[in-house]
Amino acid sequence: MLLVDMIQTVQIPLLSALLLSGCAAKIMRILRVGSMDAGLGPTALFPMRLRRPVAMAMCALELGLGIGLILTAGQIGRGAPATCVRLGTGLLFLVAACSLLELRAARPDVGCGCFGDFSHAPVNWRTLTRAALLSLAALATIDLAPIEQPHSKGSALALLGLLGAELALIAALSPELGEALVRLGYSEPCELRVMPADRTLTALRRSKQWRRHAGLVTADVPADVWRELCWRYLVFPARYGDREAEIVFAVYLRQRRPQIHTALVDAATGQPLAWAVAPARTPWPIPRPRVLPLSKNL
Amino acid sequence: MLKARGDRGCCDRCAGATGAADAARIARRRLLKDAVFRPQAVHGGPDHPAGHAGFPDAARLPRSVTGTVLDVSPHVLVLGEPGARPGSEQRFTLSSDTATWRGSLLEPTALRIGDRAVVRLHPTRRAVADRIWANIGRVTGTIIEHSSDYMIVDEGATRQRQVVVIPPRAAGRIQVRFPTLQPGYLIDIIGLRGPEGLEGVIPATSQPAYPADRIPEAPLVSGHVPDAISGSATWHEPDGEPPGVLGVAYPALDPETGCVEEAVAGSARGYARMPYLAVGSALLVRNDCNGASCVLPVTGCAPVARQFNDRCVTCGTSPRGRVADLTEASFVALGGELDRGCFNATITIGR
Repeated sequence: MLLVDMIQTVQIPLLSALLLSGCAAKIMRILRVGSMDAGLGPTALFPMRLRRPVAMAMCALELGLGIGLILTAGQIGRGAPATCVRLGTGLLFLVAACSLLELRAARPDVGCGCFGDFSHAPVNWRTLTRAALLSLAALATIDLAPIEQPHSKGSALALLGLLGAELALIAALSPELGEALVRLGYSEPCELRVMPADRTLTALRRSKQWRRHAGLVTADVPADVWRELCWRYLVFPARYGDREAEIVFAVYLRQRRPQIHTALVDAATGQPLAWAVAPARTPWPIPRPRVLPLSKNL
Repeated sequence: MLKARGDRGCCDRCAGATGAADAARIARRRLLKDAVFRPQAVHGGPDHPAGHAGFPDAARLPRSVTGTVLDVSPHVLVLGEPGARPGSEQRFTLSSDTATWRGSLLEPTALRIGDRAVVRLHPTRRAVADRIWANIGRVTGTIIEHSSDYMIVDEGATRQRQVVVIPPRAAGRIQVRFPTLQPGYLIDIIGLRGPEGLEGVIPATSQPAYPADRIPEAPLVSGHVPDAISGSATWHEPDGEPPGVLGVAYPALDPETGCVEEAVAGSARGYARMPYLAVGSALLVRNDCNGASCVLPVTGCAPVARQFNDRCVTCGTSPRGRVADLTEASFVALGGELDRGCFNATITIGR
């Protein structure tokens, strides 16, 4: 098999996979959002009433061409059907490239929408080059003979190598890849993480700071609880000698061994009071002592 | 959900809250936080006077005054409250530069006795009115019902549903920005407040293309959230808030506060990925259009504002999402034009 034939051959599964995955990503987004009205890619260029039919047509076209490329790859659809499907695919990508150029000028803030939620990045030269290359790739397959199984192990490996190289090229031209990798390895910052207050209280009551100051606390439940960024503040009424006081615990929002800061304040004025050694008591059952990190009392 | 002893488990804009209770709680929380992390500041110093929450003094900083028009002449505007004790009214000089809005830009003499007016004072001459907005109102929420004559809009669990009437002269202008006036879609309209509802005059933004219960996902944030977040700052009408209160409704209050207003949001998370805060947290809000900035306390949650992923284009194009929903007084004090609906803003957390 000649190198040109091999290059032509790998385009069929590659284009088909891209079309089907693009269609699947769009459908997944529509299912999640529940609407086709949100301008996705070039559909944002259309009036609101046309966005839905245009989006549906795009999805249907991608699905049809993706399946058509596979079905007409062999002997079954050889001739006119295969040519039509491949020509259609080439034209689709050509129109897409032109639309993206228009989109970049008219709505520079909108992503191409090629792969649904993954395509939020504004259209840039990579997206345009990818569409143009895919168009060329599809048009290059028009006169391709029906695909047959590789005759030797060497040619199979060569085909796989070509496929891998082209996939790498497309990946390099795809801003969606970065978005997908970010989602795979994403860990939400603590400022955005939802953390139940009950869990914070449990962590506090297991801490060394709690055991140290529990003797001053006069109530089971905090008088005030609030959160700011990665810290949750719990204020407990306390008695310090003859004075009404409050103990403020600032607990870092982490699942295990949170950092804890404390302050003793006058209940009336809120002014900090100096700590004194208080008799320890354990009003709540405390689990087996654990090694706690170093923390600082202020 | 953990409930604090003897307190309501909702944010302070919920029913039953009073302005005094809000202010006391806000100041107390800030004091206690400082006691943990900055005890020297609580003890008092040149930069941190003891007992001061660090927020602007309502009597000095704001350049905005709210009241009812008691009298108006070509040169003097008298504001006060009907039935208030004699001598409590405030008089402002009207200059040739004083701009007045009452559905559109008019002469100050177009004001009517009984109008509710928001006045921005001149930057250097406090007795001179720089800008006046009369009977201005805003409805931001989800369309519940729409007919040829009116719309009913849901603004949240703690607010009454609003009736919006769009007069024919404003219909075209509004429909350009809000093409989908259907139940379930978001709307944000500025207009003249009347006894029957709001007469919509100006679209405050462009309509998000999604229904209110289908908010698109914002880009993910890796690492720590930046201290400064840019976006759009809007304003809301006072509803149970004391007139002239300085504060900001924040779109991402800790869900554990159990705010009643959260029920309207539909989803726990809005568009903008913003760090969780609580009532009483301090935000440095900066108007990117004129450079004015002010530290404001979070006084409530903004479950409707967080549903919008719009941009503010008052000066340049802001990033998507609303980062602050200011009270009228705060918005005006920071140099915002109420009839524009928003200004490009940057908020800094942790001040």
